[in-house]
Amino acid sequence: MIEQLKKVWQKRELLWYMVRFQMKAENKNKVLGFVWSFLDPLLLLLVYIVLINIIFGRGGPDFPVLLFIALLSWRWFTSSLSRSVTSVTSKVGLVKSVRFPLAILPLSGIIIGFFDWLFGFAILVPMLFVPQFEVSFTVNILWLPLLLLVQFIGTVGACLLMAVLGTYLSDLSNIITFLIRLGFYLSPILYSVADTVPERLTTLYMILNPFAGLLESYKNVLILGAPPNEYALWGAAVAVMAFLVGLWYFSRNEYKLVKAI
Amino acid sequence: MIEVSDLGIKFKMGKRQRSKMFTLLFERSPNRQQPAGEFWALRHVSFTVKRGETVGIIGRNGSGKSTLLRVIAGIYPPDEGKASVDGEVSTLFGLGTGFNLELSGRDNVYLDGIMIGLTKNQIDGIIDAIINFAELGDFIDMPVRTYSSGMRSRLGFAIAIHTDSDIVLIDEIMGAGDAAFRQKAEVEMSRIMGEKTVLLVSHAIPTIEKFASRVIWLDRGIVAAMGEPKEVMEQYLAASKVKRPPPDEY
Repeated sequence: MIEQLKKVWQKRELLWYMVRFQMKAENKNKVLGFVWSFLDPLLLLLVYIVLINIIFGRGGPDFPVLLFIALLSWRWFTSSLSRSVTSVTSKVGLVKSVRFPLAILPLSGIIIGFFDWLFGFAILVPMLFVPQFEVSFTVNILWLPLLLLVQFIGTVGACLLMAVLGTYLSDLSNIITFLIRLGFYLSPILYSVADTVPERLTTLYMILNPFAGLLESYKNVLILGAPPNEYALWGAAVAVMAFLVGLWYFSRNEYKLVKAI
Repeated sequence: MIEVSDLGIKFKMGKRQRSKMFTLLFERSPNRQQPAGEFWALRHVSFTVKRGETVGIIGRNGSGKSTLLRVIAGIYPPDEGKASVDGEVSTLFGLGTGFNLELSGRDNVYLDGIMIGLTKNQIDGIIDAIINFAELGDFIDMPVRTYSSGMRSRLGFAIAIHTDSDIVLIDEIMGAGDAAFRQKAEVEMSRIMGEKTVLLVSHAIPTIEKFASRVIWLDRGIVAAMGEPKEVMEQYLAASKVKRPPPDEY
């Protein structure tokens, strides 16, 4: 497993180039090009603001910024996940003609997803200074990099697992699409746990959804000026477990994948 | 030097190869009882290629030629025996198949180069030579999807010959480009085969006879014959019930 990490580290230049060129290729034919990286999350945000704030008349003054940070982080996780499912099979030509650490394929998707997160964050930052959103700035904001690291580790684990399983089972991409859609409503993105989940069920909810603690923490440290949610620790534990399992499973199956596609 | 000893590699038939955990989770129990059919794509293959030697590999479609090259390149792990090489291996497989169609030719050169282990500086140093050799001119900055198939394989070939290492594995790449380019390509191929250790898969009999000092005939994953190019070729053609075409056809 350590071996696997070393292999990827040695090929970091390849990983970087794959990320760069893949992003370039995705935007090349669009009139607006990279502007879409900013527009995409903004438009998505607008849809939910119209739905929740205006149609249902719910959500406080800080709802748009709370929603935005949760939405960005959720999108990073899910786009990485759905990319990873087909990450190996979509590169058959490459995989069968050159030897390189295959883990680079799902990893590049995660890094591209993180760049999307950053583009979105660049829009969120000026919004934080809009007085109507009543954002409270505290030192708790320093937790943010750690939260991102936890999410990165967990995402790597999940994506390594998906890259293997997705190669064996093409149906997985349909299943994942469904699970992501379901997960969106089961996670505190459009709502906060404190307002929505009954108190006696909170513990159960947070344990069943390890991502919930992380999402609540993003909102806490960035917007509400509070320390991370206590269940972020549970999220971190799950992330580390996912990382170890994913790395182990991927290392075991890396060579078999080449023969399977 | 390439050393292959008692090499075997097997594939599962029909279904995709799956891990145990996967089978356990997703496959219905009856399937678990009967193992899927296996076939050996290569078995008991042994030979050595000395430094600087060019060895040809012939055989019908599906006889394991490409698989053999992939095992030597380290892409497939052997199930039996081993294949070892000393030195850097570079591969010339299906030219330009790994290209990203949306990216320009130039970007693809960088991506390809990094892929096979060059650094950006090294690629900076050879990119002009590659563009010149591929005769792409201004097309190098157009997306590869706009290239003709000839242009695509010319670029693939140009990258391959400018980035070759001590050991070169070549799989059916002689058909790139028009007559003029082909002539140029042949000169380069002769240079490579003169300098490097080469394993050459080809259906083009004259190519093999011209370059190879020895020929290995693979038949359904087993070495059917190995030795002098002329002799092995005769046996192969006889077994395939093909008459040697008259020489002026090439």
